[in-house]
Amino acid sequence: MSEIKNVWEMTNIQFGFIVYEKCYQTNEMRTYFSLEDNPILGDRYREGKRHWTRVENAQSFRFDLKNINTGEVVKFDDLMGLMFCSGCLPDCELAVLQKKYEAERSMLIVAFGFFPQALTDPIPKSKLDILSDYFNQRRNHNRSKIIVASSTPIEDISRCRGDFLHDVDMLSQEPPPKERKQIF
Amino acid sequence: MTTQDLCEKLNLKMLSKFSHKEVNGVFVSDMISDVMAGAKSGNLWLTVQTHKSIIPAANLVDVAAVIITSGKDVPEETIELANKFDIAVLSTDFPTFKIVGELYSLGL
Amino acid sequence: MEIKKIQEILEASVISGEGILESKIEHIYASDLMSDVLAFGKADSILLTGLATQQAVISAHMAEFKGVVFIRGKIPRDGSKDFAANHQLVLLSTNFDMYDACIKLENSKTEKPSPSQKLIEPKKSEEILLSQDFKIDGSDFTSAGSVSTEIKSILKKIGFDPKLIRRIAISTYEAEMNVVMHADNATVTLSVTPQYIQVIFEDYGKGIPDVEKALQEGFTTATDEMRAMGFGSGMGLPNIKRNSDELEIESEVGKGTKLQIKFLI
Ligand SMILES: Nc1ncnc2c1ncn2[C@@H]1O[C@H](COP(=O)(O)OP(=O)(O)OP(=O)(O)O)[C@@H](O)[C@H]1O
Ligand SMILES: [Mg+2]
Repeated sequence: MSEIKNVWEMTNIQFGFIVYEKCYQTNEMRTYFSLEDNPILGDRYREGKRHWTRVENAQSFRFDLKNINTGEVVKFDDLMGLMFCSGCLPDCELAVLQKKYEAERSMLIVAFGFFPQALTDPIPKSKLDILSDYFNQRRNHNRSKIIVASSTPIEDISRCRGDFLHDVDMLSQEPPPKERKQIF
Repeated sequence: MTTQDLCEKLNLKMLSKFSHKEVNGVFVSDMISDVMAGAKSGNLWLTVQTHKSIIPAANLVDVAAVIITSGKDVPEETIELANKFDIAVLSTDFPTFKIVGELYSLGL
Repeated sequence: MEIKKIQEILEASVISGEGILESKIEHIYASDLMSDVLAFGKADSILLTGLATQQAVISAHMAEFKGVVFIRGKIPRDGSKDFAANHQLVLLSTNFDMYDACIKLENSKTEKPSPSQKLIEPKKSEEILLSQDFKIDGSDFTSAGSVSTEIKSILKKIGFDPKLIRRIAISTYEAEMNVVMHADNATVTLSVTPQYIQVIFEDYGKGIPDVEKALQEGFTTATDEMRAMGFGSGMGLPNIKRNSDELEIESEVGKGTKLQIKFLI
């Protein structure tokens, strides 16, 4: 058992922020990765017809995966982040899957691309499989399997209450609130 | 060294239900992104973070246990999630820097 | 323990504070959570953290720490260096991770820095390189924000530092939106000198009765309609203050308001 060697390793790791910007006139949301040093919430500016307000900075990192046998590097710069599905909406396709996996002691992790690109151009399944392989191959304990799935089945992101594996409120000088602020 | 030895020697409180595991090193960080980028399978993770998202992160990188330092209160939902996925959540009243010294003197 | 000793033990590179490595610290504090640093950190400590951002440096300063060690080779960007240099903080970067760094320090085992602020004196020459006027029509929401967009693109063409341009874009956007929401119309004057960029907003409108109050975060007289459009959180003037180097407000009730915003180059 567990004789599969770890083929993938993380490379090109960069720490930064996922910036969430919202246009209140159109209710559009956009996200991007930023390397800035001093991100400030509430920044507003206009671009084209949109008035963007920065509603959240989440600390995160980006990386690529390298196949240590072949040297091939698969880029993951289109990955906004991973989310743990909390099974919040009983009718959501992902919640149903999470329930099923949980019974098998597996964990469903949802991969998000950046908005709005991800709405039309989600991260391909082949890449998500590589991500699953990466997480599973580096495990020593056979306590559970990791299954990385696409966020596309989520019908209405504004109702989703999953937990992003990002760092929020780290920079705040107040103690972190009990409930996380809902961004979407 | 196993999580059982550690609990006994450092007098750690066991907050979740889990099976004991072998510990092969220590990773200290309060940032989920750091842990995801740097911790290794079998590491002990020291943090003051208690939000429930530490559990999927701990499971993803396959740590042997999470030790919550500085006596932070851990929410019930964090523990429930840990129980589901066999993640050890341990707790100590000592701050991180102090616990590191203790772990080191135990040979980790 | 002298900070220099810590630097040697951790084989750390000095990002800032080369000249004050002899100052002594009393405690070591390891955390990535800034609220914890402020709540539990003791004065004259050194902070070990993986949080390579300006907030970490600012929090360390507020908690009266003497320095910050960034672990795992992390290096904060330029803003942090300037802040540290101005506030007598030592910044170090070590390749060890948090655990190894703590152990190294644990194995070796322990006067307040005078926070002398170095203010940059703008030079006296007043040579104007560029001066341009714009008009804001306060009743026209569809074009609201276009003057700040234009100023941004002018400054971009000249080739100013993107970070500076960003601060100016945000400040002028806020000032412009205030004219649209709270006044009738305005003239905007952009001037560029070798030392600074200045933007003046002079509007005709109802004026601000209490400028001090208007500058407070969260103070607003916005209507529900404005809030529905994402404005009216009382953050505009505070945003301008934070993003600019100088802000002067003159206002007369019933006549109008004049905002002078300056950015040092
Ligand atoms: N040009 C102006 N003329 C008249 N009153 C103004 C002007 N600018 C600001 N004010 C007054 O100052 C208050 C605070 O302004 P500020 O920009 O900080 O917040 P806001 O415009 O109310 O909300 P936000 O900027 O967050 O959308 C305003 O509500 C308004 O009463
Ligand atoms: Mg305003």
